[in-house]
Amino acid sequence: MVKWKHRHLLGIDNLSVDEIRYLLEKGNCYRDFLEQSPKGTTTLQGYYLINLFFEASTRTRTSFEMAAKLLGMEVVNFSIDISSVQKGESFRDTVRTLARMKADALVVRHRSSGIPLYLSQFLPFHIINAGDGMREHPTQALLDLLTMKRAGIDFSQMTVAIVGDILHSRVARSLSIGLKKLGSRVILSGPPTLIPVGIEVLGAQVVYPVEEAMKRADIVYLLRIQKERQEAGYFPSEKEYARFFGLKKNLLSHQGQLKMIMHPGPVNRGLEVASALVEGENSFIEEQVTCGLAVRMAVLETLIREGRSDG
Amino acid sequence: MGKLLIKNGTLVLTQSGITTDADLLVENGIITRIEAGLHDPKAEVINASGCLVGPGFINLHVHFREPGEENKEDLQSGSQAAAKGGFSSVLCMPNTCPPLDTPLLIRYLGLRTREIGLVNIYSSAAISVGLVGKAMTEFGLLKEAGARVLSDDGKCIQDSRLLYRALTYARYFDLPFLLHEEDENIAGEGQVSEGEMAVKMGYRVIPRVAEDSIMARDLVLARATGARVHFTHLSTAFSVDLLAFFQEKGAQVSADVTPHHLLLTDESIVPYGSHAKMKPPLRGQADISALKEGIRRGVIRFLASDHAPHAVEDKEGDFNEATFGISNLEITIPLYVKALVDDGTLDWVELWKRLSFFPAEFLGLPEKGILKVGKDADLTIVDPDTHYQVKVEEFVSKGKNCPFDGWQLRGWPIYTIVNGKIIMRDLQLEP
Repeated sequence: MVKWKHRHLLGIDNLSVDEIRYLLEKGNCYRDFLEQSPKGTTTLQGYYLINLFFEASTRTRTSFEMAAKLLGMEVVNFSIDISSVQKGESFRDTVRTLARMKADALVVRHRSSGIPLYLSQFLPFHIINAGDGMREHPTQALLDLLTMKRAGIDFSQMTVAIVGDILHSRVARSLSIGLKKLGSRVILSGPPTLIPVGIEVLGAQVVYPVEEAMKRADIVYLLRIQKERQEAGYFPSEKEYARFFGLKKNLLSHQGQLKMIMHPGPVNRGLEVASALVEGENSFIEEQVTCGLAVRMAVLETLIREGRSDG
Repeated sequence: MGKLLIKNGTLVLTQSGITTDADLLVENGIITRIEAGLHDPKAEVINASGCLVGPGFINLHVHFREPGEENKEDLQSGSQAAAKGGFSSVLCMPNTCPPLDTPLLIRYLGLRTREIGLVNIYSSAAISVGLVGKAMTEFGLLKEAGARVLSDDGKCIQDSRLLYRALTYARYFDLPFLLHEEDENIAGEGQVSEGEMAVKMGYRVIPRVAEDSIMARDLVLARATGARVHFTHLSTAFSVDLLAFFQEKGAQVSADVTPHHLLLTDESIVPYGSHAKMKPPLRGQADISALKEGIRRGVIRFLASDHAPHAVEDKEGDFNEATFGISNLEITIPLYVKALVDDGTLDWVELWKRLSFFPAEFLGLPEKGILKVGKDADLTIVDPDTHYQVKVEEFVSKGKNCPFDGWQLRGWPIYTIVNGKIIMRDLQLEP
């Protein structure tokens, strides 16, 4: 039994292997529980959650809101267009105002790496990082790991290829860290302009070309390509991206079965992955969404019920 | 396709750097035998006595102007000029109208090459869309369409971030770059090299630093990204030092020169006028000496033409309004003989290597540039003792913009053979 010692969830990097397994175990139970109806609980009744999103998000915010409500929490959504928030003191004032609202937990997404850590240093809430810049997105990694676990994957025997915009991806960082902790091999591929120098620090190996990376993997994890990356000149066109870096046909693993296809969503059909594969038999893209809900329930419950100490 | 037997020649073995007296048999476009005293009654025989027989010359820098400026040159006239000049293969630059920046245009060039059926025309594709230096082209799709090299030749990418990204991205497709180096802000409206001649004539200048400073930047980028980067038409002494420094550091960088930058100086604008106006501009005697020393030491491993044909009217009138570039494809070999063999900078074998073996390697053509059984029968025969006067009006190229008219040169290609087929014989195109 794990003695939970974190007040916040700032990143996968902060978690031990046992803590990750503990959250996945709980998430697994919640995933089963989600098949029931009615499924409201009173586990966290009377607790308040603020969703503080400085970046546009529908899926993650809704997922947290749903997770909190399923646990009986009250949820306040606080979306702030980053352009309307000035830098420096006014950001601090904004969050200090929030601090007086006496909520229990704060889910935060921000375009700047390190904001959740910064907030955790003075806000009297449990802080849950829902994505900070290019650094971490821990609940995404946990939901991905839960999806793999429920597919019967043995983490110690598994190779995952993460393909696409590694450079800007907090998902790739969090997932790589999580997978390495659980003993999996992680290989990364994509356009060289989108693979950062020094990425090996995550314990991952860069493999070119993309076909070779996919060939070696049991799970192919495709990252979303933001249209603005093309405009910024990291690759020349969507047509070329789809041709050389996208997944176009089903691949077999070395055991001969279809490889798992995963994607954090939302998918650009025909760009990162051929449209037909999105709903194909080996696509776990939709299951990831449901696992996301389950994992966020597990995180909220664990932090609020057990996360008393600092750290 | 019949058999061809080349007898009594001196074979230039570019791969081993030696010559040997032997006969050479070609069947179905492939070299099938290399031995002394070969006989084959069914083969057409070329008597190459007293001549050098080597792999066909490969030119890394020509402008054939098609599509768009067919009044200056087209793929047909350019191919004929190449054949006359002893070149079995050429690399076309992408600064056509429109520029070669889409797979469609690269495929067009491939189709036209087969239609014309003379020399092998390889195409470089633009690095930037429209050659305007803003956004990269589709390197992968362009390579699939047949592009072998990336270049914005005629222009130079000023945006460092774009080139940095392009060099990084192109590694994925293993495409080499061929760069024309010119800081456009420094070069501005410049017409000629800096120096006494520019002062006397009152022309705006393109200083050496316009080339050297950008080249230094790009050498740094090449080393950092691991990209293969080739610098074309070096003109300054310092660029050779820069190149040598980065080669010692392990960067995959190479360079070529043109014959005119070895034979003419900025003083040539007096006798030749706008026919001596090109980019980079003709420099000084010290630059020529440094370039030759760089060639001798192997820092500069490639020899090319920068064949830049223009219409007569492009070069007439106001010097400052005249276009840049000269037409020289038909006389490139004898010009190099004069520039490098006659003064002992290179021997014939070394000259040949830099005009065939190394360019074939650069373009990824393992079947070319080598004289060996089983390799492509792209061959050039040179008579080192032929002396002719350059007659520009007899150029098959549409470009008559050439300062070398009337020069007496030796060492002309007398046969060009592509894929086992004679396309030029005794300095005349085969009908």
